[in-house]
Amino acid sequence: MGRATSSSSSSIDSNNHQSLSSSSSLSQLKRDLSTDLRLGLSISASQHNSSSTPRVQTLDYPPIQSLVAEGNECNDHATFFVKVYMEGIPIGRKLDLLAHDGYDDLIRTLDYMFNTNILWGAEVDTMHPEKCHVLTYEDEEGDLMMVGDVPWEMFLSTVKRLKITRAGPC
Amino acid sequence: MMNYFPDEVLEHVFDFVTSHRDRNAVSLVCKLWYRVERYSRQRVFIGNCYAISPERLIARFPGVKSLTLKGKPHFADFNLVPQDWGGYVQPWIEALARSRIGLEELRLKRMVVSDESLDVLSRSFTNFKSLVLVSCEGFTTDGLAAIAANCRFLRELDLQENEIEEKKNHWLGCFPDSCTSLVSLNFACLKEINLAALERLVARNPNLKSLKLNRAVPLEALQRILMRAPQLVDLGTGSFVLDRDSDDSETYRKLRTTILKCRSIRNLSGFLEVAPHCLPAIYPICVNLTYLNLSYAAGIHGSELIKLIRLCGKLQRLWILDCIGDKGLEIVASTCKDLQELRVFPSDPFGAGHDAVTETGLVAISSGCPKLNSLLYFCQQMTNAALIAVAKNCPNFIRFRLCILDPTKPDPVTMQPLDEGFGAIVQSSKRLRRLSLSGLLTDRVFLYIGMYAEQLEMLSIAFAGESDKGMLYVLNGCKKLRKLEIRDSPFGDMALLRDVGKYETMRSLWMSSCDVTLGGCKTLAKKMPRLNVEIINENDQMEFAPEDSQKVEKMYLYRTLVGPRKDAPEFVWTLV
Repeated sequence: MGRATSSSSSSIDSNNHQSLSSSSSLSQLKRDLSTDLRLGLSISASQHNSSSTPRVQTLDYPPIQSLVAEGNECNDHATFFVKVYMEGIPIGRKLDLLAHDGYDDLIRTLDYMFNTNILWGAEVDTMHPEKCHVLTYEDEEGDLMMVGDVPWEMFLSTVKRLKITRAGPC
Repeated sequence: MMNYFPDEVLEHVFDFVTSHRDRNAVSLVCKLWYRVERYSRQRVFIGNCYAISPERLIARFPGVKSLTLKGKPHFADFNLVPQDWGGYVQPWIEALARSRIGLEELRLKRMVVSDESLDVLSRSFTNFKSLVLVSCEGFTTDGLAAIAANCRFLRELDLQENEIEEKKNHWLGCFPDSCTSLVSLNFACLKEINLAALERLVARNPNLKSLKLNRAVPLEALQRILMRAPQLVDLGTGSFVLDRDSDDSETYRKLRTTILKCRSIRNLSGFLEVAPHCLPAIYPICVNLTYLNLSYAAGIHGSELIKLIRLCGKLQRLWILDCIGDKGLEIVASTCKDLQELRVFPSDPFGAGHDAVTETGLVAISSGCPKLNSLLYFCQQMTNAALIAVAKNCPNFIRFRLCILDPTKPDPVTMQPLDEGFGAIVQSSKRLRRLSLSGLLTDRVFLYIGMYAEQLEMLSIAFAGESDKGMLYVLNGCKKLRKLEIRDSPFGDMALLRDVGKYETMRSLWMSSCDVTLGGCKTLAKKMPRLNVEIINENDQMEFAPEDSQKVEKMYLYRTLVGPRKDAPEFVWTLV
């Protein structure tokens, strides 16, 4: 699969070559690779943080055909849109649950979307009068449930739609 | 004794000899056998399109019906070969079209194909039945339209991992209404498709056994297609996503019912886009599956994968992403007792994959699946102990390809190189034909390979070895070696030139970012006129009149009967 990615040529200049051949010890290799990186060869923004392993992306490694790599690097191919209604507002919104990595992320998006503060999970038990809304969802069986009781993945497998309701008088 | 039989009898006997190698061997016995064999040969395999010319193919095998051609070297898959390097199919198609060859099948890998080539192909061979293009490029959907429109008896159109420019035409609609002979159709690598034309095509081709859709085919369409084609054996789904809304649960229910009728499906792939909550629709057919490919299915968590795998007791080949994790591989090991081939791809090749697999997963597989003979495994780390255990549990490897994402990583437990681990693999798997190495490796691993890998045909080396001795062990020891590809390893002229005759027994040698010099390559080219020694000089790395002592960035040499190729671009120098 000779796919057209930004085909960085795998050139290592001859200086690096000599050091590679004289002693192919790991530290030598790391030093040479980090020289390449400092010389500003095109690298992506997301740098690998581990201290012991050098980035080899510029060197066309690992040997994986780029489409498989591209397709799998970003997990946003799958989407899961659900309807979201706020009590009292007849027109709903739609939200991609898979674009969020957990409850916190989801609540943040909803707070922004509906311009409110939403109680969920444990917060509901300790009611703050200034926070007016709670987040509930309709599950596969049609029941209205409080968001946050079950693990995120389990939630994803049963949720059908979201509803933001009033917590109490505010 | 055989000499007293008329030719027809010999020919009839040779009909039972089908493998290319066996037929090649038959042709070497004597002149009579050579003659009978060549007239009766129907299938020809040419592993390097530059090793021979179309004219010589046609002259020797006038009865050829099926031709397989391969072009660019394997490392082209990983961006190591520049654009316009070569591998054009045009001269082959032109020559075949001018001749009287009744071509019926053409299989190309890593070749450059043009719309014109496809057009000529479609109009020159009335009985043309099968076109398989793997990792090819250079054509558009106009070329596909020509094939669809003109090949009246087309049975197979299989497009795997090609780069195809998609025009606004509806090429699929170019199949005439009279086309009812399709058995296999794969367009997964395209981005678009005309759905209406697709559904009509499936409806009028009742012999369709293999259908691989692309991302543009939504679930609703898949359901309708499966209704028309419950006889499918091989299915590649397109998009496998549905909203959870009430309107779509009807579609989902219909899909589940339809899939229940598809009792013949044995091979399942695709899922180019997938929502986990849709997966249960395929649960009913999992029990029959022998091949499952989920390597494009990003976004399915390990737990979902495990639920699926538990149902696949008859699986023989599994391609999966590393988000299945070691735990998931343990489930595979306890469920898929007939597993022969496993490929685990990295979901995040350039980062630190937290769901990734390690040596633990591989050991579990080896222990639960003793029939394992083919492995491609991308992982974060590997230990010698694990490889030794795998070697003991699975002595039947034919293909063993390990890719540790950090290419020079030692055994993390002992901090030793992985020489002993790979040594154990080659010693125990006596029928090993293909091997890819990774991790920290010294010359010692090559000593083991040279000593034990007697059947080895293809070896891939990256960032390994310490000296020329490493390469020499391999060249001296592996008598059946056909393809050797090496990158970023300290092998130089001494190893390259020690046994120049060896390369005529091989298909090709690739060396990039090694220590071979221009002078060494020139010497080799001079001594061996039946090799093409090509230097790829990208970005003018070599000056106009370089010194012989300058290291060569990329060298590709191959045996050939037809001398230097005439279509080399100006950045490829053929040394003479």
